[in-house]
Amino acid sequence: MIETDVLVVGAGPAGSTAAKHAALGGAKVILMDKKSEIGSPKRCAEGVSKKGLKKLGIEPNSRFIAKELDGVRLVSPNGTNVWMTSEEIELPEAGYILERKVFDKFMAMDAARAGAEIKIKTMATGVIKSDEGFIVTCESMGKEFDIKTKILIAADGPESHIGRWAGLKTAQKAVHMESGIQYEMCNLHFERDGVIEFYFGSCAPGGYVWVFPKGDDIANVGLAVIAPKANKPAIEYLDDFVSKSPITKDAQPVEINVGGDPVGGMPKKIYDDHIMVVGDAAGQVNPLTGGGIISGMTGGMYAGQVAAEAIKDEDYSAKYLKKYDSLVRDDIGEEIRKYSIVQEYLLTLSDEELDNIAAEFQNVNFSKVSTTQLIKSLIKVSPKAALKLGKIFL
Amino acid sequence: MIVKDWCSYCGECAGVCPRNLITVKEYSLEFKDDECKGCSTCIIACPISALEKE
Repeated sequence: MIETDVLVVGAGPAGSTAAKHAALGGAKVILMDKKSEIGSPKRCAEGVSKKGLKKLGIEPNSRFIAKELDGVRLVSPNGTNVWMTSEEIELPEAGYILERKVFDKFMAMDAARAGAEIKIKTMATGVIKSDEGFIVTCESMGKEFDIKTKILIAADGPESHIGRWAGLKTAQKAVHMESGIQYEMCNLHFERDGVIEFYFGSCAPGGYVWVFPKGDDIANVGLAVIAPKANKPAIEYLDDFVSKSPITKDAQPVEINVGGDPVGGMPKKIYDDHIMVVGDAAGQVNPLTGGGIISGMTGGMYAGQVAAEAIKDEDYSAKYLKKYDSLVRDDIGEEIRKYSIVQEYLLTLSDEELDNIAAEFQNVNFSKVSTTQLIKSLIKVSPKAALKLGKIFL
Repeated sequence: MIVKDWCSYCGECAGVCPRNLITVKEYSLEFKDDECKGCSTCIIACPISALEKE
């Protein structure tokens, strides 16, 4: 049987970050992923903030950055635009659109360089609790074997099997799982260069349509819907949008991406004796934007650090690992909680109400773009928003 | 459960299955059909309608 200090299941950005930090802290680490190629296929619109990358100590690299962003465009159902780019404001939202197929590999390579062993195309098929930790049953290209680990870090994405097998209630309810679909397309007619675009309303019930630029005429064009609120499968909403929008009327797809996005926030318990859950598997996603790269990696970083300390102190109890929970909730817990309330509020708005808000926004001077700034402006122009959101954001 | 050949193994169905009965491998889906109560949550959640009841 293979034995290790820390086993990380899933080599997305959260898992690789966990593996890197655990290895940097001196632990013996195995990082495994069921896919043949880390980072592919992508299940993601690929947007990150510059601030987020910096916080995690990731140096921007031209190999994994597709496009630097210059701001945001919000579009209401009747086509009213709210532009927030360098033409309007001094400091537009600073961020990048990544090339996840490269980025995810780079993050896994960072983990390997820190000392982690990577097992590719290796799937966890079950989890057995033992006194000294977990035994994870694995399968790789016809071979079956077990890995015995003192600490198990579950980074297995929205499926979140590992946490559930270990007895944690990490599953998201169906009303909190966005059904996402996206085309990577060329031949787009952008009105302005380097702007991330969001389209709200009945074009994507429970979510929004995004157009995230990856080149001069290239973008990820996608949407997410909450399936119980939608009248048809996500792909039909996307095909409708693509055929009607002036920016995509000539666009052609070179890739289709599908996937779930857990927007229900972090479950109550994301750790237990010998286990921590990180990333999408732990609902570490901004419920309003659905973005989870930076927040998942933040979870991974803390879990990796705590795992390394636990190995040094030879204490793998839930009581010790609770430190991970405190660190991650202190950092991103409040933000997830707040944006969850805003998301719930947005779900209540009709197309007409969204159009009215967009009309009111024409007269607002945005000094900088941040989600918080936007919500504050929303509260100023909409009495309904003030009632629902005033207490938390003002 | 019938899995259509356009399934892209994204795992959305596995994530929403309240009984954790769906395992997604790189290029296949495994259902524990005998434990399924037929709630259809997975069918509704699939973004590309790749699941159908038998």
